[in-house]
Amino acid sequence: MTHDEAGRLLHAYVDGELDPAKALELEAHLAENPFARAACERLRGMSAAIRDQADYHAAPAALARRLRASAPPESEAGRGRLGLPRWLRSAAAFAGVAALAWIAATLVMRPGENERIATEVLASHVRATLAGRPYDIASSDQHTVKPWLSARLTFSPPVADLSAQGFELTGGRLDYVGGRRVAVLAYKRRQHLIDVFVWPGEAGQADLKLTREGFNIERFAKDNMDFWLVSDLNRNELADLARLLSERSAL
Amino acid sequence: MDPMDERKQRFERVVMPHLDAAYNLARWMTRNDHDAQDVVQEAVLRAYRFFDGLRGGAKPWLLAIVRNSCLSWLLVNRPADLAGFDDRVIETPAPEEDGPETQAMRAFDRRMLNEAIAALPAQFREVLVLRELEDMSYKEIARVADVPIGTVMSRLSRARRLLGESLRALSNAAGERVNR
Repeated sequence: MTHDEAGRLLHAYVDGELDPAKALELEAHLAENPFARAACERLRGMSAAIRDQADYHAAPAALARRLRASAPPESEAGRGRLGLPRWLRSAAAFAGVAALAWIAATLVMRPGENERIATEVLASHVRATLAGRPYDIASSDQHTVKPWLSARLTFSPPVADLSAQGFELTGGRLDYVGGRRVAVLAYKRRQHLIDVFVWPGEAGQADLKLTREGFNIERFAKDNMDFWLVSDLNRNELADLARLLSERSAL
Repeated sequence: MDPMDERKQRFERVVMPHLDAAYNLARWMTRNDHDAQDVVQEAVLRAYRFFDGLRGGAKPWLLAIVRNSCLSWLLVNRPADLAGFDDRVIETPAPEEDGPETQAMRAFDRRMLNEAIAALPAQFREVLVLRELEDMSYKEIARVADVPIGTVMSRLSRARRLLGESLRALSNAAGERVNR
């Protein structure tokens, strides 16, 4: 066996992919060739080092949970007319939207503008939390919060009661973001406060998910309203809230 | 049992056990957690849609879908990572040169190794991850990457050579810092 051929087959040999006849031939070559033996040992060493020391990234529990939880109970309600499970259709639609959002976010959007708004809504959220004054009107009743906000703004923000889904409405406040007066709805989940900023926006804006200084920020647009969510709540549950708000505002 | 429910349960049994492998590949290809999760989520949904077309082993089948989702993601978000990606010329690996990397290889640490792998060009990174971290055969890797087995071999040997070079450079640099 030539050096060239041995060199070419060495990887396959170390990977156990060489057929037995070739392997014997190569072993004979290695036996009388310390140079090739050293190369072989080096390859084995590298392979072992990668297996021992390189990070293996197991799927986060949240991802597995999200994929499984999107399946509804086994019932008639789970199936639509097309025979596809409802969870799959909505999830596939969501994936499609997410893919479009990626493209849109990369190609079309004005990153400077979004970055500025993200900074402002985050600052507003932190300020309100620090001051211990997350709302101007404290109420868990959407029929109290909505008129209070509408009376002080030039628009009427959608206010959803999501207590059944584990997002408790605690109140509303006004703030000034991006040069306009905006509505802020304060929700609570466990000990986490979530601010939902709402104002009339342009159509066709892409969805956005950001993490800044440990806070998750999510933005979507629905029915000519811009929604920005800010919280220290985890990304998945914040995404749940965004989805629920998006569904509710359509009603 | 209802055929729909049965399909879902079969998917759970056959495909979902490979979720870690799916995420590991996506995590190494996108190089961040959030995008890897998005890519895997999209890929699993596609896998469910095309589940009836599954032939042979579920792991390479799922990883082929994940890989395609990764490529689409890279195309939009990290186009520079894909430079030279479809270069399918089968290179003959040069015989190993004996050299100082024998000593250098002992000096690298875990962090250095992970950085060096993450820095590999995408087409070499993917075969290395599939081979060393997923312990897949050349045949399975060929199926995932949609290339001939010969290309898997040449990419793998190139990946290892590049990794060896970059580890040598990294540990030399670290050594110089210590000696200074």
